[in-house]
Order: sequence, then structure tokens, then C-alpha cells
Amino acid sequence: MSALLLLGLRILAAAALYAFIGWTLYLLWRSLQQEAVFLSSRKVTPLKLQIQDSRQSVPILRFTQGSILIGRDPTCDVVLEDATASAHHARLTFHHSQWWLEDLQSTNGTKLNGEHVETPAIVVNGDNIQCGQTVLLVELE
Amino acid sequence: MTSYGLKSNRYLPPVTIQSRLLQLAAFFLFLNACALTISPAVRLRSWEVDLRWAHWVGLAAWGLMVFWVHRQFRRYTPDADPYLLPVAALLAGWGLLSIWRLDVGFGLRQTAWLMLSLTILSVGLKFPQNLDILRRYKYLFLVSGLFLTALTLVLGSNPGGVGPRLWLGCCGIYLQPSEPLKLLLIVYLSAYFAGRDMTQARLLPLLYPTLFLTGLALLILFFQRDLGTASIFVFLYAASVYMASGRRFLPLLSLLALVLLILIGYFLVDVIQVRIDTWLDPWSDPSGRAYQIVQSVLAIASGGLDGRGLGMGAPGLVPVAHSDFIFTTIGEEYGLTGAMALFALIAVVILRGFVIALRAGSTFRRLLAAGIAAYFGAQSILIIGGNLRLLPLTGVTLPFVSYGGSSLVTSFLALLILIQMSNELDEEPAPLPQPTPYLHTAALLGLGIAACALVYGWWATWRADDLLTRTDNPRRAIAERFVPRGALLDRRNQPIASVEGTIGSYRRVYHYPRLSSVVGYTHPVYGQAGLERTLDPYLRGLQGVPTLQVWWEHLLYGTPPAGLHARLSLDLTIQVIADDQMSGKRGAVILMNAQTGEILVMASHPTYDANQLDETIFQASHAPLLNRATQGLYPAGDILLPFLRAEYGQRTVSSSEQELLYARLGLYESPQIRLPTSLSDNRTPLRLSPAQLIRAAAALSTGGTCPARQLVMAVETPIQGWVILPALEQPSPCLSAEGVANLFAEVPGPFWGYTGRGQSASEQQETSESVAWFMGGTLPGWQGTPLVVVVALENESRSLARSLGLSVLEAAIR
Repeated sequence: MSALLLLGLRILAAAALYAFIGWTLYLLWRSLQQEAVFLSSRKVTPLKLQIQDSRQSVPILRFTQGSILIGRDPTCDVVLEDATASAHHARLTFHHSQWWLEDLQSTNGTKLNGEHVETPAIVVNGDNIQCGQTVLLVELE
Repeated sequence: MTSYGLKSNRYLPPVTIQSRLLQLAAFFLFLNACALTISPAVRLRSWEVDLRWAHWVGLAAWGLMVFWVHRQFRRYTPDADPYLLPVAALLAGWGLLSIWRLDVGFGLRQTAWLMLSLTILSVGLKFPQNLDILRRYKYLFLVSGLFLTALTLVLGSNPGGVGPRLWLGCCGIYLQPSEPLKLLLIVYLSAYFAGRDMTQARLLPLLYPTLFLTGLALLILFFQRDLGTASIFVFLYAASVYMASGRRFLPLLSLLALVLLILIGYFLVDVIQVRIDTWLDPWSDPSGRAYQIVQSVLAIASGGLDGRGLGMGAPGLVPVAHSDFIFTTIGEEYGLTGAMALFALIAVVILRGFVIALRAGSTFRRLLAAGIAAYFGAQSILIIGGNLRLLPLTGVTLPFVSYGGSSLVTSFLALLILIQMSNELDEEPAPLPQPTPYLHTAALLGLGIAACALVYGWWATWRADDLLTRTDNPRRAIAERFVPRGALLDRRNQPIASVEGTIGSYRRVYHYPRLSSVVGYTHPVYGQAGLERTLDPYLRGLQGVPTLQVWWEHLLYGTPPAGLHARLSLDLTIQVIADDQMSGKRGAVILMNAQTGEILVMASHPTYDANQLDETIFQASHAPLLNRATQGLYPAGDILLPFLRAEYGQRTVSSSEQELLYARLGLYESPQIRLPTSLSDNRTPLRLSPAQLIRAAAALSTGGTCPARQLVMAVETPIQGWVILPALEQPSPCLSAEGVANLFAEVPGPFWGYTGRGQSASEQQETSESVAWFMGGTLPGWQGTPLVVVVALENESRSLARSLGLSVLEAAIR
């Protein structure tokens, strides 16, 4: 009688132990899944850039990728037709839920709202970015 | 209760996860505590016993303290990793119960240490700036740790009284400074490497300070003979440098250094030499230097797949089971099932440690977390591998599980660091130039655990049967105290050997000690001999019982079922007469039913008393343990002449004819009577045991047929009652009936009888040895039971042998 009781306790205890481990592993798997879902759902806030040009109307550029390269080089995302701009002039990147502007050691520097950008700076709606002579107007959705 | 099934895809807060895991852990421990409480009732198969209650103190303390820590966790670190604390608490509680089960005194002390550790943990959770303090004062901490460790060289003591003096302390409280030193080393190395550019080409100058301090620590440990901790230091140093710099040659270099260290130690330090020798070959000295490791493996084999159940095994047989061999204790009582769970838990700790490391906000924290994970992993693998003979045995503790205050406090301090580090969710992970060193280190530890699991399976299943039947497995003798061994009975069911006492203290009693040379003995120290040995599977209940019942009893109690009684063909009333006649003489008498081959008397003298075994019996020059009836080989001399006369008449016989006859009479074969026998390996001069001769002699009484000898008649099975054991031999015609009739043509009756003398060549023997033979029996026409007797007396006269044989025959006929 006591032996059957003990056997029952042993089986239950083993079940509890494996429930502990099984549930731990299941939760770890779930958190892995959630992390993946979370990372994939972390969308970039779309950013619109409008080049200020009084001579002609320039279409508004809309970006949904996390990194935008600005410069004179044709491979850039925003190609500037401006002799005072460097080939790779500045970069806009999205991280920490913000758009950041950084100067890529351009010859004539980058200005955000008229101030020189020395270290990466946060860009908000309505800011204007000056690369060489060209001014870009930022619009966040 | 909230549901957490698949359908709800919502986020479970860490605090909820931790709370539920802790509840499961508490449930597991509660069930085990219940099992431990009733285990004495199961062992003794009765409720009229003292149940075990003491360990509930430990469980209550565990519950209260864990609840408190959990509340602190909820308050101060709600976003921290929710798996570490439940796993550590489960491991600590599991170890605690195992320690209580082994020794109440140690259990109480461990409970106190656990309370202290958890207090430190829950208070520490309040102070998130711990890590910065550690980093800032890294040299101070390490040097003071080294100082304390060095102090043990002078003031060291051992709470156990003997062994390496690694502890500092007095008044019953002891601290082992090398335990926290491991953690301090990790902190120091992490802080040092984090502050420097480890990717530059000339790495060595950067390493000088760390090499110096680590080397100093190793030197102290080397003098302390603390091989295990030294190995962990080398591993931690190598892992830290590798993870910080990503240079692959460094781990290899450290491995080389470790091997070199061990080699030097092997030739200089006797402790290391013993450890390595017993690791390479434990089976050559299983009762001496390799006793621990052999007993450890035996315990694991005893646990098998399902384990014996808490409180049902015999883990206390392994020395220091509560500390170095706690894993063996768990292995024996929880089996492969429990061991695999333990491996999984350790793997979870390592895995979470490395996850925390990769997510850490600074290089210092990353190195620290990875170092701690490596410390948990390496130390677990080192001691488990040592217990399993995968690695040489080293005296380190199993983190969280083993008995030991310093180890427990250190483990929980390390846990505190990991928990606090994982709470800082808002921090972006620091840049990771090279992920491979972390992955490699984690993979190495994972491989180590996998290797432990494989080796465990090897001992617990593949090798278990071989191990458990070893004579140095004390569990067989322990089982005999709880399960009655079958009795040995004579042909009239008079007991020759049986058990006395009550369950838990069964004792083998030999009611007719003068049969000891034949019956043998079963003894916890001296093992088994004689019929006790050859009939052991029946007497132990492993044979003759349905396999399912054997399995069921083993599952429930860890013992075989009650043994079967065995009935012998011996007749005690005649046996007494033969023994009286033989007293004071050396030799043997066998009386047999010539027709059926049942052996009625088997007396071997001098004999001993199996109730009073001691060393002197085993060393006595007159060899009382020898069963002279079956194992005594005496020169045949002229005792075989009657057979030649019966077969070939008076003519001269060629040696090939003689060999042919002897072969037919079975004189070149061992008697198959379920007793150990001896067989002479050369045919001229022929040496015979009385048991060999009696089958041939029986042919003279039956008129030519050699019977099948039999000593064990039947066993009493639980289902079919008495079941006849068939004779192992076949009766066969040996002599021509005509020849036998001619031989006895002029014998008046009722008996025939021949004497003979065998003399061994005196130049070969130190002392000249002579034997007086007598064989006799009823004549072939005898109306009653046909009987035959053989007597062999060492250094006595033939007439004495004759009169002794005839008186036994007469007593048998009466």
C-alpha cells in the first residue's frame, strides 16, 4: 500500500519536474517567437524629403527603408545636383524609434535648422536639412 | 487563473512566468518531501514505523525564503529574466532534500546556509549599482580574496577533520575562500578586459597583469592540492581571454597549460596521481583508492532508468555523498529520468547566462555574464563528469545543489548579478565585434553536458547489470535484510539454512553448521560460497518467479521478490551419523541412492560454522572451506581395479582400453550437481573427487547403469508450488551387467565393498599425502533402496575407511 503511494508520488514528482522543464522550454520558444515578431513589426516611420528649389518644382521623395544616403554620387538615395555638396554628404538613419541625421565628413558640412551637425542629431517633422547649397524639408508621417 | 495556452498570443509578464515556475518547483519539492516522509514505511513494508519528518523544516524554510525573494524580485527587478531564479531555487531545494535525506545534521546546516544565501539575494536586488562597485574595486576584491585563500595555507582547517585544509573558520562556521574567489576572478578579468582594446596585434603585454594574478591564484590552489578549483580557474581565464579577444590560439594554449599542470602534478603531488590513476583504471583497486568512484558508478547503475525513489536507495554508501557526490545521490534515487532533468536545468542556466551576456549594455557586463555562465557550466560538468568517471575526480561542488555554505552563497551571488543585469531592458546591446567566441564557449559547455548525459546512460542502462552483480555492490546484502532469502531444506523439509529476524534485520541462520562446506554461506563482507552461491538466483527470488513480478517488486521496493525455498536430496538423519563418524578426521563421505542418483549424505571434514565466519577460516591451513566431496582431488590409486575387473575380467588391460572405460564411467568429467567442483587436468596419475567416483560406484550396485547425480531436488515457486528441478546429467550404461554379476558371484551380501589407497608422489609434494578409499553398496539384487557410499580419508588406514563406510550404509538401510 505504502509502496503504491510512494510510486504514485514518484510518478507525480517526475511529471512536475518535466512540466517545469517543458514549460520553461515552451516559454523560451515563445519569447523567441515574440522577439522575431516584434522585430519584424518594428516599422520604420516613413520620411518625406522635399528639395527646396525655387527654379523648378521637385517631386516629394518618400522613404520607408531605415537608411537614406544623401550626396552628389548617383548611387545615393537622394542625388543632389549641387557642386557644393560632397559625393557622400550625409546620412539619415532610423533607430531607437527616431530618425537621426549624421554628417559624413562632407567638405562644406551639413546643417540642421541652420546649425552645423557635429554628432548624430534627431530629426523631427518640419526640420530643414542643408547640404551645401541645397535645402531639404523633412516631413514625418 | 489566467490561461496561457497557444491561443492567447499576448505577452506574459516575467513576474507571472517566474511565479508559476516557482509554484511548479514548490509542487515538485512538496511531492518529494511526502515521498521521503513515507519512505521508511515502504522500506519496512509496514506503517508501524517512525516516519521521516525532519526535512519539512528545510522545505518550509525554502518556501518562505523563495516567496520573499520573489516579492523582492517583483518590486525591484520586474523585467529581469524570469527563468534563472526558479531553476536555481528548484536545484537548491532538490539538493536540500537530498542532503536532509542523507544526514539530518547536514540538512539543518544547509538550510541555514540557504536562508543566508536567499537573504543576500533578496537584499541585493534592492541595489542595482552593485555592478559598478564591483567594477570599480576589482583589484581590492580580488586581492582580498587571494589573501583569504592564501591564509588557508597557514590557518586552514577542514570541518570534516581530515582531508585538504581549504576552510577558514571557527566555532562551527567555516568558509572556503576559494569559492568566492572564482567569482572575484571573473569580475576582475571582465573589468580589466572591458577597459582595454583587446583586438590589437600585440596582446601579450596586455595580459601580463591578469596572468600574474591568475598565476598567483593557481599557485596557492596548487599548494592547497585543490585540483578542481585550479582547473576551473584555468578554464575561466581561457574563456574570458577568448571571449574578450577572439583569439583562437588562447583556449588551445590554456588547454596545453592545463595538461602540463596536470602532468607536473601527477609526478609531484600524490593526490593528483591517485585521482588520475583511479580515473584511468578504477577496477584494479575497487575497495581501496578507487572505492569512491566505483561506488558512485554502482549507485548510478542501481538507479537505472526510474531511480529507486527518494529515501529508498543506498546513496550513503558513497563517501561524502552530500557534497562531492550529491549528483550520485540524485542519480540513484531519481534514475536516468531525474539526471536528464538535472542536465536540462543546468543547460537552461547556461543558456540564459549567455543570452543575458549578448544583450548586455556594456562589454564589462557582457564578459561578466558570460563568465558567470561559464563558471556554472564548467563547475557542474567537472563534478558530474568526475562522478561519472568521464573526467578525473575533483573535489568541487555542484552549484546550488551540493552541501557547502561558501559554494551556495557564491552561486546565489552570481545569480544576483545575472538577474540584475537582465533587468536593464532599455539599454541597447553593446556592439559585438566577434560573436563566435561566445557561441563557441556556450557550445563547448553544451557538448560537455551532452557527454555527461551519454556517459550516464551508458552506466545506468548498458553496464548496469554487470555492475550490480559485482560482489562489492553492498546493495545485494542490504536487500537481503529486507527480503527473506529462501530456505535450504533437506529431503524431509528439515531446515538446513533459513532466515530469522524481522524485516530490515533478516539474518541467515545455519541450523546444521556441519554442512557448511557443502551449503556454503552468504555474507555481506565475504560474499557467497557453496550452494548459497550456485542457488542464489532461486534463493534471491530472481529465478522461478514471473519476470513481471521481479520487475514490479524492483520498481516498488528496489529489491527482488521473496526468495524461493530449495529442497535438497540430503537426509539429515543419516548426515548426522556420517558427520559423527567423520569428526576429527580429514576427508569426505558421500552416500547416494544408486538408482535415482539422489545424494543422501555429503560430508566434508574438517568443516566450519557458517554462522561464525571470520578471517581465520579463510586463512586456515586445513582448508575448511574446501568441499572435499566435490573439490578434493585425491590420487585414485588402486580403487578403480574393480571396474577393470568387471569389464575386462582378469586379463591385462591396455592403457587405451582403460581410458575408454574411465571415460564411460565419467571419471574425466565434473559432476553436474549445482555445486562448485574440481577436475584434474592430467589423466595419469588420475586424481578423483569422491563425487566423481560415486557415479561409477553406483554402476556396481545397479548392475551396470551410472545414474544421474542430483543434490537439489525442487524449488517452491509462488504460483506452482514445489517444482522439480531436473537433473543436469543423464543416466547411462557404464558397465556390462554380466561383468558386474561375475564380479560379485562370490560376495555373500548384503553389501559389496572395496578399499583402495592412493599415494601422491612424495617428491612432488612437500608432505607425502595418502588417501584411504572405500567404496561399497548394496548388491545388484538388493530388494530395498539401492545405496552406494564412497569414503575418502586423508592419511588414515583403509580399514577405518571401510568400517566408516559400512556403518553409514547400515545406518541408511535401517
